Amino acid sequence: MAEEEDEAGYDEELDDGSGGVDVGGHGKRKRLFSKELRCMMYGFGDDQNPYTESVDILEDLVIEFITEMTHKAMSIGRQGRVQVEDIVFLIRKDPRKFARVKDLLTMNEELKRARKAFDEANYGS
Amino acid sequence: MADPARMIKPEVKAERTASANEERPKSEGAGDAAAAAKPTDVNKESSSQDPIKEEAKSETAAGEDDDDPSSSKRLKLEPEKKKERRQKVDEDEIQKMQVLVSSFSEEQLNRYEMYRRSAFPKAAIKRLIQSITGSSVSQNVVIAMSGISKVFAGEIVEEALDVCEKWGETPPLQPKHMREAVRRLKSKDQIPNTKHKQILFH
Repeated sequence: MAEEEDEAGYDEELDDGSGGVDVGGHGKRKRLFSKELRCMMYGFGDDQNPYTESVDILEDLVIEFITEMTHKAMSIGRQGRVQVEDIVFLIRKDPRKFARVKDLLTMNEELKRARKAFDEANYGS
Repeated sequence: MADPARMIKPEVKAERTASANEERPKSEGAGDAAAAAKPTDVNKESSSQDPIKEEAKSETAAGEDDDDPSSSKRLKLEPEKKKERRQKVDEDEIQKMQVLVSSFSEEQLNRYEMYRRSAFPKAAIKRLIQSITGSSVSQNVVIAMSGISKVFAGEIVEEALDVCEKWGETPPLQPKHMREAVRRLKSKDQIPNTKHKQILFH
């Protein structure tokens, strides 16, 4: 019961302009990442079955994070477009995220090169 | 449960740059019988070496033949040394990780597998970004964004677990822990928020 009240309070927080909506601005949208977030929360240290309300809060936070980053990326560099360089620039102050992005992009390049070499080898023989 | 590999990297980077800085004053003072210089003497040397550096510069300006091969060789060696050192550090890291993972219990192995394998679906992220920008985005952007989002989710869960432990409660995490974690991260500026514009000079 207390959790339901808390949940409504949280949704009201996000509900800046749309006053008078009971369910809450983000409540009506279908849950995009429920399954994956559950696995992720377990991986990061939570219980094997995390609470649905916690998963919902985390999903809202992640969607808000992505939205904010996208808006910021659109306003710097090439306007109206989101490019990798913009994301890397926005993330530069946070060491963890910066290192992670660099690793991911490097690994992606290596994989692409490996796949290309593999395909060429097949084509040759 | 932060990835131990992640925590080591910033320290390693700092170590690498510090040792690289140590090397340069040493190599420049090599001709000066200061070849046996210890790292603790670096500070004294760097101040006494500034006039030496200037002399070396004037020498290279005057007579380029003798100095250039040695200096260019020195410049070539340094990035290779850095690469070698970085590879060695990576190998150490990989070995340590292997030792760690081999000693995991069944439950820890499960959790570690979930930690490594869980990811946001690329299609959903791509759809979300495209609905915001209105134009298409490249694959790299989707890769970068899903990677950062996972790190972000991890930071929140870790902070929430700290809060949970501090309040003397047990997992599973409750919304109040999540909200307190968000409040703490907001004060550390880890959560981007462009909705509230701060007017500096009123």
